Amino acid sequence: MKILKLSILELMRRPKKNMLIASSIVIAVALLTSLSIVSNSANLAIMEIIAKTGHTLTVRPAASSSGANAGGKGQEYKLTTSEVVLGSYIPEAAVPEIMKNYDEAIKAGWEKKGGLVSNPGVPGVVLEPATWAPRLFEKAEVNGQEVIVTGIELRKEYFVRFWWNLTSGQWPADTDIKDVNTNISTQYKLDSHGNVVIDKTSYGVDSSGRIIAEEEKKKDKVAPVKPILKGWDDAYLGGAYAKARGLKLGDRLAINKTEFTVRGILEETNSADDYMVFIPLSTAQSLFRKEGLISLVSVRAMCPNCPVGDAMVELNKNVTGITAVSQLDVAGVQFDFFNMLYKFLLAVVVSTIAVGIFSIFNIVTGSLYARIREIGMLKAIGASRSQLFRIFIYEHFILGLAAGIIGYLLGLGMAYILNTLLDIGAVIRISTDFLPRALILGVVCSLVAIIYPAYKLSKLKITETFRTQWES
Amino acid sequence: MSEFIRTNGLKKIYHVGDQRVEALKGVDLEIAQGDFVVFMGHSGSGKTTLVSTIGGLTRPTEGTVLIEGKNIWKLNDSQLSNFRNRKIGFMFQSFSLLPTLNVLNNVVMPAIFNSNSRKKDTDALKSKAISLLTDLDMKSKVNSFPSELSGGEQRRVAIARALINDPEIILADEPTGELDIRTEKEVIEICCQINNVYKKTLIVVSHSLTWLEKAKTTIVMKDGFIYKDLADPVQAIMNGVCK
Repeated sequence: MKILKLSILELMRRPKKNMLIASSIVIAVALLTSLSIVSNSANLAIMEIIAKTGHTLTVRPAASSSGANAGGKGQEYKLTTSEVVLGSYIPEAAVPEIMKNYDEAIKAGWEKKGGLVSNPGVPGVVLEPATWAPRLFEKAEVNGQEVIVTGIELRKEYFVRFWWNLTSGQWPADTDIKDVNTNISTQYKLDSHGNVVIDKTSYGVDSSGRIIAEEEKKKDKVAPVKPILKGWDDAYLGGAYAKARGLKLGDRLAINKTEFTVRGILEETNSADDYMVFIPLSTAQSLFRKEGLISLVSVRAMCPNCPVGDAMVELNKNVTGITAVSQLDVAGVQFDFFNMLYKFLLAVVVSTIAVGIFSIFNIVTGSLYARIREIGMLKAIGASRSQLFRIFIYEHFILGLAAGIIGYLLGLGMAYILNTLLDIGAVIRISTDFLPRALILGVVCSLVAIIYPAYKLSKLKITETFRTQWES
Repeated sequence: MSEFIRTNGLKKIYHVGDQRVEALKGVDLEIAQGDFVVFMGHSGSGKTTLVSTIGGLTRPTEGTVLIEGKNIWKLNDSQLSNFRNRKIGFMFQSFSLLPTLNVLNNVVMPAIFNSNSRKKDTDALKSKAISLLTDLDMKSKVNSFPSELSGGEQRRVAIARALINDPEIILADEPTGELDIRTEKEVIEICCQINNVYKKTLIVVSHSLTWLEKAKTTIVMKDGFIYKDLADPVQAIMNGVCK
């Protein structure tokens, strides 16, 4: 028989008392575990978005507002200003200036950091320009319901949102998209006063502002200046929107009375995109009478650790009428919020642990003093101070370990409750990473409570112990 | 018989609140190896204090305790624990068995605190425990738990435990307290065997006069002093003539 076995048997001798001691530790461990899991899940969700989107900059009009719900009635998705802008616009012609400022700021930032600047003139170094995609948001009536319709340039959008996948349908051929963008991008210019000048004659638009298909051209006898662009009436749907409305590939959509065909349905990405209807930018601009205007530009940095923060500062300083927001800054605000919440709750948990340890200390002291005569007997038969101390430490190590495991399991369940109660809305990720921490906390709480009484008892004079009644 | 235990000027002073209690007032004592000593005296005369000082349980305020010429109170905690473990077998007034352990494990328990015990000794130790329990007519109760035993049986288990490490000294503080007359006689007989058969030095503290018939040496204690070689120790205790 070993000291460890003696400790285990002694532990099993007082199940009720030990369960009482363990319960305080279990609660403390469960609270900390659930808090850590929720906080970690929330932070991971943000990190994943950043990892997925890269270091992205959103350029939107300086005075922009949102607050709309995407997806129409019955589909609640609160939009943020980095996701959608309604009622404010940037001239499309301002994009080159924006990108010029961006590129210069990135290069300057790299130089400041002492990093490599991409240089096409140096063999082996490939210039990776930033890629950008414009968007135009408008509320429109889609099949009789008000929905946010987003005009995009498919090719550019695909580069910026490289994680986009279609669950059904297919992207238009590169050449088709290229043609669309090439043709459209030549239609806008700024006049001498800085206003956007639009050459309406290049569009196949009828007198009521509708975009006219080739068949309709003939029927309405309205001859467009340029041939109607291929794919002008293609619509791509966010996964959640398509699911909610029961729409599938090839279905027809009426957006402000203009017919579109569903050419693709996007995989859900847990973003506002899931609730949107996408049509070509040029079509959207004509349909909503917003020629030459866009709502925002997403800029995806193409270099790892690009100094996007520097670019953001430069853009906000040099280009009037726009606000550049770094995705990392948005994430940073969320991080700060979660960290603040975590710290607050951690303080609550630490207080709980302190109170728990105090109550454990009291129970343990009472429990050990009830064993005082037994301790005297053990000393008399040859147990040294350190051996006695080891008996108590083993007992409470095992107790703390068991409480840590139970607390961890309870904490997993509590994480879901905490997530719902605090309305964090993170996808809870169960991870064994927190198990060692839970076990350490359980053991430390248990040992902290035992060390002083165990030390005092192990130093007790044997004859003093025989004046106490034997605990049976 | 050769000198085995010796105390020189042993004093023990307790402080209970503001009160100063002198339990031992300079005890000089010699006990030979193989002796069977019974300490008698009124409550508070200092018997238990003297025996626990000899057994390394209570540190004296003054004086020395020499066992085989070695002052045990010069040893550190670990050495003293080892000394108690190997040299002394204790029998207490209460049965002091651990209720979570069966009879066999209660008997072998001192071995787990023996720093020199090795794993291969375990089987030999268990055989020895069974042999001791057989001698004490407890073989059938090897796997029983203390709560399943009578008072006399529990006392026998405590005796077996005191003998397991083959100590040279057995210290028994009121070993027959709380027992009926029949069981008391049984325990005294066993103690006589321990002295005669196992050749252990037996030191007993008791109020029971039954021990006097069996003891080789009787020491009467009063007010922290010892009185040896009295012609009639019983009369001395009864009349309080130890002055």
